[in-house]
Amino acid sequence: MSNQFLPLLRNEITKAARRRLPYFGIFCIGLLCLVIYLAAGRLTNTAATNAWGYLAFSMQLVFTDLGPIFIINFAAMLLAQETGTGTIRAALAAPVHRWELYAAKAAVGLLYMLVLSMAAMLFSAALAKVHYDFSAVGDAFGVVYGRGKALQEFLFGYALSWIPLVALVAFGLFISTLIRTPGTAVSVATGSLLIIDFTKNLVGLGPYIFTKDIGYPWIVLSQFAQGMDCQWQPELRNMLILSGAFTLVAFGAGLIIFVRKDLNH
Amino acid sequence: MKTATVPALVLENVSKRFGRIQAVNQLSLEIKPGLMAGFLGPNGAGKSTTLYMIPRLVRPSAGHLRIFGVDIWQDYKQAIRSVGITVESPAFYEYLTGRQNLELAARLLDQASPRELDETLERIGLAARQHDRVQVYSTGMKQRLGIGRAMLGRPRLLILDEPTNGMDPEGTQEVLSFLRAKVRNDGLTIFISSHLMSEIEEFCDTVYVINQGHLVASGNVRELLRPHERIIRVTFQGKVPDAEFFRRHEQVRQVESLTADTLEITLDRDDSAWLNDCLHQAGFRVSAITPKQKTLKEFFLSITSLHQVETSASASAPPATMRKSPDE
Repeated sequence: MSNQFLPLLRNEITKAARRRLPYFGIFCIGLLCLVIYLAAGRLTNTAATNAWGYLAFSMQLVFTDLGPIFIINFAAMLLAQETGTGTIRAALAAPVHRWELYAAKAAVGLLYMLVLSMAAMLFSAALAKVHYDFSAVGDAFGVVYGRGKALQEFLFGYALSWIPLVALVAFGLFISTLIRTPGTAVSVATGSLLIIDFTKNLVGLGPYIFTKDIGYPWIVLSQFAQGMDCQWQPELRNMLILSGAFTLVAFGAGLIIFVRKDLNH
Repeated sequence: MKTATVPALVLENVSKRFGRIQAVNQLSLEIKPGLMAGFLGPNGAGKSTTLYMIPRLVRPSAGHLRIFGVDIWQDYKQAIRSVGITVESPAFYEYLTGRQNLELAARLLDQASPRELDETLERIGLAARQHDRVQVYSTGMKQRLGIGRAMLGRPRLLILDEPTNGMDPEGTQEVLSFLRAKVRNDGLTIFISSHLMSEIEEFCDTVYVINQGHLVASGNVRELLRPHERIIRVTFQGKVPDAEFFRRHEQVRQVESLTADTLEITLDRDDSAWLNDCLHQAGFRVSAITPKQKTLKEFFLSITSLHQVETSASASAPPATMRKSPDE
């Protein structure tokens, strides 16, 4: 029988599209972008800001707190919702391997992460356009980077911003595998994210936790928007290794647990 | 030359342990194709655990499970493609409609088409409500939807765990009659777990009784329920024997008066002919003498309580399998 990953993914997308929570996340992101826009004048030196700088600033704020919370909430509900309601039994009493279902769940988590990220980007870019132009980047002495170069760097940085978010999805899905009820899974996932973020530097683990890299691409792009060089290395290599390792461990452990667990209740 | 028929379902020495609890213990059974087999057991006997092992929702501690000859742990997709399953209280995505829920299931089946969805919804009596969210469905409607989902893809084996829970008697009769017709006309095999003894007795060809994880009885329903020879109902014309009369005969264990002229007499052996002679010689006029028709409920209660006594008396003895009541 053929691989069931694509039909399963289609099912996951169908289900997600008919739930309210994903849209609520997008709505909140949009609302936050608007609040940032309204408060931006008080938060930054507007004379030094251009559209690229505003965009980086807005995205950094969105993905410091709210963005990751909605991403992890969505991922934490993926399996826990099914286990809690019992729909997992019907889903698996079909010509489907458990790893296929798990992979489809991970894929829809990643898709939602991308949708949320794109929504934030589009909202922020639209609001940036109200006052600024996406033109060349310059400093006090003139143009430093052309418009094309600026766009290229921003798209590159935007793609890099997904790397730690992928690890976040894997973490949320791992929590969802361990906990059978969606409410508890979301609480544990969100709570642990906040605790880790709050305490990582206090206990000296800051350099080893992937969440430190969530805002990193936007910090670099903020500097770029002011005419500075984009210094991606060596942090980029560290981000890839840290987030990659965490993603592999969380996804692998979650997959092994899910494949082996009894689902009789 | 006779072609061997591949059994629809084979469980071979299947066991499952959850920590210290032995939920299923060396269970073996074989269901021939084209039959409706009932699966009975008291609460906590291991019925659901057994049924969950078939679609690999629960991993057995030991043993093998085969569906139409295919081991489920060697080629799961090949084995399960011919199976439709519904678990107790089937769960659905409540924010989706009945039809949408079936579409999700159908997407994973090669054979299921939109037309088949329409036919299925029609057959289970939910065509008019297919576009309503499952959230507003009654329990009976959800059960019907569960059966409909199990029947997508034209399975050859249906495994139904308490499929008529929450249905009214009319609905139950309708569903079971429909399933029985599928067995008769299409050669479908059904393995049904239920607490409704009367329905199992009426609709099933064979029955398997599980208790404390062991198979304690199995066989053709008619064979298992053949009338007692030991419990005899006697209707008298005129004088009815009193207790003193029966006390003189050691073979009589118990006498119960059902009506003014009818007694239910329990002997110590299967011998209604002796009783008839005895009464006749004593001058009593018998208008009717009938071995008591056993019900599945009585059989079930007798076999499960007997197994309870035996297992508590000899906890270290090897588990009994394929046993019948000593009344048999």
